[in-house]
Amino acid sequence: MVTHAAETGWAIDLTNVSKTYRGKVRALRGIDTRVRAGEIFGLLGPNGAGKSTLVKILMTVIRPTTASGTMLGQRVGHKPTLARVGYLPEHHRFPEYLTGAQVIDYYGALAGMPRAQRRKRRDELLEIVGMKDWADTKVRGYSKGMRQRVGIAQAIVNNPDLVVLDEPTDGVDPVGRRDIRAILVRLKEQGKTVFLNSHLLSELEMVCDRVAILVQGTVASQGTIDELTCGKIRYDIEIVGGDEAAAQRSLAAAAGSTPHTIARNTLSLATTDAAVVQPVIDALRAGGVIIRSIRPVRPSLEDLFMEAVTDPTTGVALPPGARKGAGREGS
Amino acid sequence: MTQILALLTDSYRELNSRKLFWITMLLSGLVVGVFAAFGLNDKGISFLWWQFDTPLLSAKTIEPRKFYIFAFANLGIPIWLTWAAMILALISTSSIFPDFIAGGAIELTLSKPISRMRLFLVKYVLGLLFVVLQVGVFSLACFLVIGVRGESWEPSLFLAVPIVTLVFSYLFGVCVLVGMMTRSTIAALLATLLFWLFLWGLNTTDGIFVLQRETSIVNHERAQKRVERQELASRRRIEQLAAAGEPVPTADTLPANVRDELEAVNAFLAPARKEAADAEESAAFWKRWTRLIVGAKTVLPKTVDTTALLDRWLLTPEDKALFSPERGESGDPDGKVRFGQPDREVQKRAEEAVRGRTVYWVIGTSLGFEALVVLVAGWLFCRRDF
Ligand SMILES: Nc1ncnc2c1ncn2[C@@H]1O[C@H](COP(=O)(O)OP(=O)(O)OP(=O)(O)O)[C@@H](O)[C@H]1O
Ligand SMILES: [Mg+2]
Repeated sequence: MVTHAAETGWAIDLTNVSKTYRGKVRALRGIDTRVRAGEIFGLLGPNGAGKSTLVKILMTVIRPTTASGTMLGQRVGHKPTLARVGYLPEHHRFPEYLTGAQVIDYYGALAGMPRAQRRKRRDELLEIVGMKDWADTKVRGYSKGMRQRVGIAQAIVNNPDLVVLDEPTDGVDPVGRRDIRAILVRLKEQGKTVFLNSHLLSELEMVCDRVAILVQGTVASQGTIDELTCGKIRYDIEIVGGDEAAAQRSLAAAAGSTPHTIARNTLSLATTDAAVVQPVIDALRAGGVIIRSIRPVRPSLEDLFMEAVTDPTTGVALPPGARKGAGREGS
Repeated sequence: MTQILALLTDSYRELNSRKLFWITMLLSGLVVGVFAAFGLNDKGISFLWWQFDTPLLSAKTIEPRKFYIFAFANLGIPIWLTWAAMILALISTSSIFPDFIAGGAIELTLSKPISRMRLFLVKYVLGLLFVVLQVGVFSLACFLVIGVRGESWEPSLFLAVPIVTLVFSYLFGVCVLVGMMTRSTIAALLATLLFWLFLWGLNTTDGIFVLQRETSIVNHERAQKRVERQELASRRRIEQLAAAGEPVPTADTLPANVRDELEAVNAFLAPARKEAADAEESAAFWKRWTRLIVGAKTVLPKTVDTTALLDRWLLTPEDKALFSPERGESGDPDGKVRFGQPDREVQKRAEEAVRGRTVYWVIGTSLGFEALVVLVAGWLFCRRDF
């Protein structure tokens, strides 16, 4: 399918999206972000960072205070485009009087799908999310994870070009989470774009091509995981040391002018180059120090996340929610 | 179209899942059953196998057809459909909008390619489905009963469907607006019931004021006639005096407390004139107040008047006269009417005044109110961040 989005390469291209709720909560303070067509994009951030707010703006559930940019080549808020988008809100509640199969059918119909197509797709999806045996049970009899599975199914019922999922694995068991990851990867293989909110960083790390970290309504950092971790790879050299002070002295001496930090009996060299490490090893060995391990360390998404949400001056993690005191403007 | 069909199916499923919907259906069936159990024969009325001899009300005095239609228009519609079924309908539909806009449910609906206003209006119209179905089934059942037992097929009974739905829609609009503002079913239901009670009170006041007005007008007219008669008597008296050569009172010779020469020769004229003046004042007073109430009713929905249209269309005044025992003595056609002791003439005029209100006034202005309320609610829906 040749779409405008495919031509420009951006499924979502946002500039300066901001939202101030009534009651003066500044949930978003000028978001600029782009999602390539055909990638899995992860949005992470602490509670109250504004992730759901951003998603709801894309889905026209709330009106942005300011927003410019496009989704699938149309301006944000363009209703007909939503026929090509699938959405799973957080804390969704389906009408209790519908069965799982009816839920999928109903939301497919609201997206404008013809009946015959819905039928076929419904059975397919129930199979994929493993809810075939429960298809004719009313939603009120479902467990949380079962609702979530049906939720995923209804989000992709209209065969969307862009799927927006707000915490899709919330409440789903490990097998279900793996199934959902497989669904996401398959969507990507089909050339669809996936926009994902999640707190499960290890999962995002497994599937996402690119991520953005949202903190207090602004994008703290974004890029591929490699880009974000680039320059943060280091080598840790751990030695067996009896006397800590002596160990630290010999580590410092060995490191010489190479940028480094020392914590207890571990020397962290801020370099990605293995060649730089070799003289340090030689120096340590010459000094008779016993080396226990040498390994390149690449920060995890969790480390990046922690770095983003920690106040650099105090070293304390920021409290949840939008910053209080809307009037004050600051970095 | 697919979307509207989906919303329709959903609304039906929602109704279907409500116990109250089926309870109301069942009660409707019961009411029709009782209705069908009544029979009219030459001796009087029968109920199931019991016979009540009522010579005044039997197949000899009225046609069975009219008996059933009257029962439908005067008992089935006003008591069952416009009160009991209406309350049940309000209870079971007041939660439609609060549920619809509840967090977790509305996000998905809003994220579909359908404009908010359209979504709102479709959902609103579908909210009337409950009443359409209930009244439809009830009317159909009554149609069959009248057809079989009254031996007359009356398709005009189905007028009840649009009329009762219309009345319900006035209230439903308010219910939706309050539901939209507060997101609370209970608040929406209570506010609607209060509003309904207020409308009912206003309508009752209107009825009383119209009766008062007509009473005072009739009193004024009659007093006026008495004055004319007394004046005539005075003139004759003056002519007699003149013919007999006796002194005729003139403007210069009048006593201080007498207005003109007519009063000077007739002791009854002054009190009659005073009575007429009082009646005129009273008529002016009630006219003013009735205008005020009617003005208030003009901008508000008219539930009772709308239901009364059905009565107006199904039964002619002659038909009605058959059933209503002569209210109020015809009494002295010239006598003074006191309120609470209605006079036939007054009764007739008051009924005519109410019947004379145009359909446009009754339905048009009510719909205007409803449209306004629905637009405000729709506007709130379009602007709200969910
Ligand atoms: N309807 C609303 N009215 C007012 N404030 C709101 C509303 N919804 C969210 N907020 C505020 O906006 C901020 C961002 O909320 P949002 O739900 O977008 O956070 P989030 O990143 O999705 O958090 P979580 O990870 O807990 O889901 C919060 O401070 C919240 O209090
Ligand atoms: Mg959220």
